[in-house]
Amino acid sequence: MDTINRILQVEELTKTYGKGENKTEALKGITFDVLEGEFLGIMGASGSGKTTLLNCIATMLRPTSGKIILNGLDMSGFNGSKLADYRGKVIGYLFQEFELLDNLTARENITLPLSLHGVTAKEAEGKIQELAAILDITEVLDKFPSQMSGGQKQRVAAARALISSPDIVLADEPTGALDSKNSKTLMDKLSAINEKQKKTIMMVTHDANAASYCSRIMFIQDGCIFHELRRNVNKESTADFYDRIVAVMAQLGGGSANVL
Amino acid sequence: MFFKQVWRNAAKNRKGNGLFFSSLVIAIVAFYTLLSLSKQDVMLYLAKVESDAVNKLLKLLPMVYVISLFFVFFLVYFACKYQTDSRRREFGMYLMLGMKRSRMFLMLFFETLLSSLVSLLIGIPVALLLTEGISLATAKVVGLGIIGHKFSFSMCAIIWTVCGFVIVQMLAMFIICIGLAKTQPADFLSDGAQEKQVSISVGKSSALFVTGILFLLMAYYLGIFRMHSYDIRVLFGIFVFGTMGTFYLYKGLGGFIGKIIKRKAPGAVGLETFTSRQVQENVLSQHKSLAVASLLLLMALACVSYGIAMGFGTKSERSADFTLFGDGQQIENILAKEDVSEMVKTSYPVYLSMKREEYWDGEAKEFDLSKFADAIANVEEPKDLVENILENLHVDYLIAESTYNQLLKSMGKEGISLDGTKVAVYSSMAREGDFGLVVEQALQNHASVGINGKEYGIESTLYYDNIVADRSITLYLAFIVPDEIFMELARETGVYGYNVRLKDEVVDEMGLMQAVSQMDEKIAQSGIEYDSFLSGIGRNLFYTVSASYLTIYLGILFLIIANTVIGLKYLIQQRQTKHRYRTLIMLGSDMEEMELSVKKQIQTFFMMVLTVAVVSSGAAIYTMFTSFTKLPLGTDLYKVIITSAVVLAVFVLTEFIYIAVVKRIAGRELRSIDG
Repeated sequence: MDTINRILQVEELTKTYGKGENKTEALKGITFDVLEGEFLGIMGASGSGKTTLLNCIATMLRPTSGKIILNGLDMSGFNGSKLADYRGKVIGYLFQEFELLDNLTARENITLPLSLHGVTAKEAEGKIQELAAILDITEVLDKFPSQMSGGQKQRVAAARALISSPDIVLADEPTGALDSKNSKTLMDKLSAINEKQKKTIMMVTHDANAASYCSRIMFIQDGCIFHELRRNVNKESTADFYDRIVAVMAQLGGGSANVL
Repeated sequence: MFFKQVWRNAAKNRKGNGLFFSSLVIAIVAFYTLLSLSKQDVMLYLAKVESDAVNKLLKLLPMVYVISLFFVFFLVYFACKYQTDSRRREFGMYLMLGMKRSRMFLMLFFETLLSSLVSLLIGIPVALLLTEGISLATAKVVGLGIIGHKFSFSMCAIIWTVCGFVIVQMLAMFIICIGLAKTQPADFLSDGAQEKQVSISVGKSSALFVTGILFLLMAYYLGIFRMHSYDIRVLFGIFVFGTMGTFYLYKGLGGFIGKIIKRKAPGAVGLETFTSRQVQENVLSQHKSLAVASLLLLMALACVSYGIAMGFGTKSERSADFTLFGDGQQIENILAKEDVSEMVKTSYPVYLSMKREEYWDGEAKEFDLSKFADAIANVEEPKDLVENILENLHVDYLIAESTYNQLLKSMGKEGISLDGTKVAVYSSMAREGDFGLVVEQALQNHASVGINGKEYGIESTLYYDNIVADRSITLYLAFIVPDEIFMELARETGVYGYNVRLKDEVVDEMGLMQAVSQMDEKIAQSGIEYDSFLSGIGRNLFYTVSASYLTIYLGILFLIIANTVIGLKYLIQQRQTKHRYRTLIMLGSDMEEMELSVKKQIQTFFMMVLTVAVVSSGAAIYTMFTSFTKLPLGTDLYKVIITSAVVLAVFVLTEFIYIAVVKRIAGRELRSIDG
């Protein structure tokens, strides 16, 4: 595999909480790559370490050991100001609870990562309109979050994650707070962006429905990669992929002895 | 277990909320200082000479105390709310673990009680030290001498301070508990109830903003140009327009800020838009508190200025310390005594008399005041006063030039030179209201007076240094005339009395009051009739002390309450929107940038309140000094400016301290979310 295509390399990543007897190993030396344009899903039971993994990659947590190489640069050694430079610009982030600032309009929320990195809303107006059209939020651009539906809020959050053309978008249970209809709309939009713009997305989810949009799924259990599923995007439908995911999830519940 | 928990929680609250805690301590100090007024040296002294007035003041104190308790209640309420808000999760957890609400409230009450006791334990000793300091300082300033000073300790004041303070705290906690009683455990546990965005239409807010400014301008106009008439309707108008204007201005301000943000947003970088939106949100949801805080600050500034003006206004200069009555020889004997003469700087006969009878009735021989009246009529403002003076214009008394020159000389002032062709005008009422200013302006217009068919020019200066020691003798208007004219026109050409002035060194050394008291005793022994400056001092001093003291007290109280309310309001909002800063970090903001934003928010928030308060108090102080609190003639302007500058510096420093403290707390809170 050509290294140029590997946008993210995670090598021997460990994360331990506490000391001595209270020591808990959340990640036990995880290694994997994410390719450019991939839509990677991470699944696992509660406490499996998937959110810790995402938080380490998102620079929200400092790993205990191991490397996180994004576009050839090891981020695990970055300090405060360099991290801030990465956040919102190289990494886009989509939260479960949207985390829109409720005193800012949709437009101001979307352009916040840009203005934090010195780009004005004026300069990005074209990009805003383009994303708003794709995500179907043009009419709420000048509204405040309290005047929007949950689905609109999450799509505004998606626009905010994408506005600065990050190398990778990290999504933490993005459909967690949405009903099934809004979940589907969001996943359709994200999947379209992934396909058309070749945007790399890494998503943590519990939801097999949402996961079925991914091109690859990693299952994590007790801090280790436990299983991996790949979808043949051209031949396999999301419905078929969904069945396979559900099967693995059922086996996960029974422990490794039952796995194929 | 229960009390251990109460003890720990109370300690944690104090530590986490130093700003509020120190404000409470200041409030306690203020309470005690006010309530112990009756036990202070100056008041004890005054009670001897002016018991009626002092009793009136002491009767007024409970009312002032209740008013200050009312305002302190708000301070306590907001601070308790801030504290309980930050512990919502904890309360939710208690309830879920099976604690009864009644027990939880009991715990809160005990915590409050404990905190009150700790602040009292700190506040009261500080108050005792301070009142001693004030007592000594005032005694020194007014020349009471500190020899007789005793440590004053008012048990009654302590009891009232403790009761009032504890009651206010308990009441505030009670009201907060009513709100908590209705809250479900799930609401406690959720991360701070999300405040709904207050939205107000742009049109409506602009209209309110403009109306607010117009109302304020109207209030300023009424104050500056219409107050001279002392019309109650004008006063009411100022109050209504000023208050409503301030409220409308802040209510509309949010929309106005929104407009600015919209205009600037396309070009904004960093956290500019976020910072402005934070401020806007605060203004929209807190406009009432902002208006109240601004009005409190205005009252604080006005009160302190008024207090200082009163301090200057009633301080009259010493002219003669004693006036002795009797024949010349008798008085000479008394003054020649060794223990008396060593204290006396100078003594001189006073020639003061009414006009002679034939000049009293009969038109032809009356002073011809027509030209003097013309000169007064030429003075334009204030119209009603000028008319009033013209209606009552009469000059009945005469003072000999030599007497007045000796008086001036004893005070170290330059004498008058009338050259036998001029007269000068004297009035003991020159310091009361606008009267002196009108007359002085009239004298600038080269007035003259006809006496005995001959025209005399009038000196352009108005003289007002008291001609005798007794301040209760008032001379509406009198002429200081050359001695030969005095002899010709006066009804009594003999000596009215003998003025005595004490040596400056003696006064400096013993303090004026002590010196006058001692001399008083010596003269009293001789059995002659005399007036002393003492009774005059009593009344003047009383007004100085009480008016300055009370208004400055209220001013300081308003100042700390307004600042604490603004600070707490900001901190409450910051805590409620803490999660936003977490999001900002994820979007690529760093700690320094956010800290800068928070600092800017705090500065803007305070400035919005301060600007309106300072502009309004500018107008208020101008109004005050041009209408009812006019500084008397001859007030040392340099001293006034210095005092004002010192007060202004203290005010600015207070604001700086509050802003800095709030910034520090906000910064600490912000850093707690990192990591």
